Amino acid sequence: MPSWRIIAIMVVLATVIAAGSAQMLLPNKVRVRIATTTSLYATGLLDYLAEKFEEEHPNVRLEFIAAGTGAALRYAERGDACMILAHAPSLEKQYIEKRVLENGVIIAYNYFVIVGPNSDPAEINGSSKIIEAFKRIYSAGELGEAFFISRGDLSGTHLREQEIWKRTGLNPAGMDWYRQAAAGMEQTLIIANELSAYSLTDAGTYLRLAREGRVPRLSILYANPEDPDAINIYSAYLVRGCSGDERRYATLFLKFLIENQRMIGGFGKGEYEQPLFHPAEGRLMELEDLWSRLASGMEVDNP
Amino acid sequence: MSLAFSEILDVTIRSLYVSGLATLLSASWSIPAAYLLSFRRRVGVLEAVVESLVGMPTVLLGLLLYMLLSSSGPLGFLKLLYTPHAIIIGQSILITPLIISTCYRALRVVAAPYLELALSMGASRPQAMMLILRESAPGVAASAVMGFSRAVGELGIAMMVGGNIKGSTMVLTTAIALGVTRGEFEAAIILGIILLALTIATAVSMKILMGVRAL
Repeated sequence: MPSWRIIAIMVVLATVIAAGSAQMLLPNKVRVRIATTTSLYATGLLDYLAEKFEEEHPNVRLEFIAAGTGAALRYAERGDACMILAHAPSLEKQYIEKRVLENGVIIAYNYFVIVGPNSDPAEINGSSKIIEAFKRIYSAGELGEAFFISRGDLSGTHLREQEIWKRTGLNPAGMDWYRQAAAGMEQTLIIANELSAYSLTDAGTYLRLAREGRVPRLSILYANPEDPDAINIYSAYLVRGCSGDERRYATLFLKFLIENQRMIGGFGKGEYEQPLFHPAEGRLMELEDLWSRLASGMEVDNP
Repeated sequence: MSLAFSEILDVTIRSLYVSGLATLLSASWSIPAAYLLSFRRRVGVLEAVVESLVGMPTVLLGLLLYMLLSSSGPLGFLKLLYTPHAIIIGQSILITPLIISTCYRALRVVAAPYLELALSMGASRPQAMMLILRESAPGVAASAVMGFSRAVGELGIAMMVGGNIKGSTMVLTTAIALGVTRGEFEAAIILGIILLALTIATAVSMKILMGVRAL
């Protein structure tokens, strides 16, 4: 067939364009792939930190892949990330034991809060423990007075919610008032707002949406910094399988995170009434204790 | 969302570039394949298979490609995962059935009679092919435009093998998805309008180009 000539010309043309512009698109930098929990990424904190880090190391490109903690850890296991930022101690522990993660360090923490309709039909406002608040939501749900929206996506927040339900001894799965959004935190909150339902969230995501006026029907009904079950601990890890330049710079970024925790603590302070994240330094021992407790507290089904 | 103009521009240009190249790449094998197919008498089953693949779910293709390109996958050594190239490859595969089947329809009508006519008038085979392609040019161009609009509008592949990395693999559709998950619907809508405008503009300019040539 004579058409081989046209095929050849077009293939050559396409290859030349591809090769030529590849240089343009991807400057010759060391890529460091970091799989991260969405809550850290969506606030803009990571972009802010990456900018500072890349000022010091202009030959490095930090590439953030935002996914739920469950998915992020799977990426690590398959060797598709060099560093992990996660907030699900029980799941992290499984991957440490599988020898996927190493050099773990707690970098920041904040609190899970329960948001719900302003009228608070389950009356959780008076509860002193998050477990008690969940029990009240369950009772109100059974009476048909309240709804609860779960993330349902194996994220750190979703896993914590399941752990809290387990500790209450109640199982809401399959109940009519208990719905799985299978979505990110922001979407879940927007659904909760539409349905006037309760939901477990990190304070930061709620505060951002509330400031933008997107969740007018929701308010924080349970927040207690003294409740160990409500603490949300963010850790960073290196992935064991990662090597070479990528690992070298990932190690440097990990060090950068530890040394610049004040940046994490100060992030968003001007825009919100409270900081979105608290630096771990100063409370590290206590946080490590809490982390181990959370990690060994409940066995969670491996995704 | 901090939807700076420069970011919108960056994402839009990347979308155009990635999907444009994917279309070009895919056309380079799909049009010849359709050309060869148009001379075959019995293509019933093949045609059915190709047509059914037109509706291939993009997340499925994305997942397959992810498994293939992942560091623990068979092609992991190529280090293509989370690069624009991975999206280009994925999209070019995605739109191959679409371009082949639409192009085949355009070519089929003219291929056999024109080939005979041209050959009987003493044309060489390459000349005959040029004649056939010229006669069916509007249809062939339309199939490329459809391929481009499917590529630029797909989300699954760009998300799975691109990773939606800001400044590297974030394209219009993944930026829209990010806007939606972040609850920033206004930003998502703006990006959506740009995406639609882009595909419509491509189709219209291609039509004008073809129209001018036909005159």
